[in-house]
Amino acid sequence: MAQILESKGANMKKIILTLSIVGFGLANASLLDEAAKLDVKKVCDVKANGLEKVIAVAKKFNPEAVKLGVEFKRLGIKNREYIKYTDEAIKSKKKETVIKYKDKGKEKTKKFATDYAAWRACTFAVRALQQVKEAEKTWRLAVPGDGFK
Amino acid sequence: MKKFTASIVIGALSILSAQDFNAQAEKDRKALINYFEKKFADRKNANMYFPYSTKEELDKNFKWGIKWEEFRLGSYAFNKNGREQYEEINEMPPYEDNVDAGKELYENTKFKNGKSFKDCFPNPAIAGDYPKFIKGKGVVTLSVAINNCLKDNGEKPWKMTKGKMADLEAYFAATSRDKGKKVNIVIDSKEAAEAYERGKKEYYSQRGYLKLSCATCHVQGAGQRVRNEYMSPLLGQTTHFPVYRLKWEGLGTLERRLKGCNKDQGETPHKPGSKWMNELAYFMAYMSNGMPVDGPDIRK
Repeated sequence: MAQILESKGANMKKIILTLSIVGFGLANASLLDEAAKLDVKKVCDVKANGLEKVIAVAKKFNPEAVKLGVEFKRLGIKNREYIKYTDEAIKSKKKETVIKYKDKGKEKTKKFATDYAAWRACTFAVRALQQVKEAEKTWRLAVPGDGFK
Repeated sequence: MKKFTASIVIGALSILSAQDFNAQAEKDRKALINYFEKKFADRKNANMYFPYSTKEELDKNFKWGIKWEEFRLGSYAFNKNGREQYEEINEMPPYEDNVDAGKELYENTKFKNGKSFKDCFPNPAIAGDYPKFIKGKGVVTLSVAINNCLKDNGEKPWKMTKGKMADLEAYFAATSRDKGKKVNIVIDSKEAAEAYERGKKEYYSQRGYLKLSCATCHVQGAGQRVRNEYMSPLLGQTTHFPVYRLKWEGLGTLERRLKGCNKDQGETPHKPGSKWMNELAYFMAYMSNGMPVDGPDIRK
């Protein structure tokens, strides 16, 4: 009896593990596919959509970029830092976003207009994922002896 | 007799399959050599490969007819002015102290358990043998192997980009160079071939906000100029690490350079020792297979 229960438990674990892996894979694929279909100019347009919606797009897609190891970084600032400080500025209704970050171990700050920082955070998050999809089709075109003639 | 025949068959099969696992990598390596030799063959085709270079530059500063092994000099293989400066600096190499420091680390570091680096690496002339694919561990670069040695013996791992790591690697590289060792990257299993393919895909994939792949600069872009610097070719790019870079004012490992490249592409850099970086290095090193190990060396 104990053996049967043990084996049932083991099977259950396997099923849960498989479902989690499949679920993770699907979530992964769906976010990539969803990002690939977006028109960056439209979804990241602050004037048309408002700051809250634009930063929400960034917050939705950037964690996936981090997970896949393709997160953008510009001027020493990771996109997650753009998102964090822009979100704070939007919540406190500040027109200027002050980003604190570390560069070669030193604490630094940079200031941006909040609408500009939101646009950047959004385009960076979406484009990072779109590039993953694009690269699937294009990477071989650069390989001598393969796609590169 | 049956046993003997069986062993011969098994032996032959294993040789055949080992050759099969690196078949694609060999094809890629030969195609890359062909591409670079053609690109730098003569002045006649230069306008096709270097559309932004001036006539004067192509006439006076470029060396043509470069063959396979010479590409390990990076941009100094074709850039005459750069080559002169490189040779001048190499008259009194700034990395000699690092090689001495590395020798000291190799010969005199005693771990708390009484063992030393000599127990992990009995032969220090191993720079050309890494990265290696090790079953269960994946791709192991020389930096990762050194840190594994430290950890396995109860010591704290080192920073993988500079300092002691670069010094010890400088000693390994110098010893390998003095013994005439060549780059010898092995792909002998399906898993190793898959790791190579993943590294290759990452090398050729456009990434970061600048949407550059490694190849944009170091395959198609090799020989073109960014400001005043010529970009180096992928072929031979790993033979000379660790390098003393004038920009760094010090010695750095391949991981340090890859991290910098990754940052230049506009991407959050991958961590040294990560699967991504190890596999990228595996692909890059395979492209230099057969070339002499010539590290440590100098680069701008």
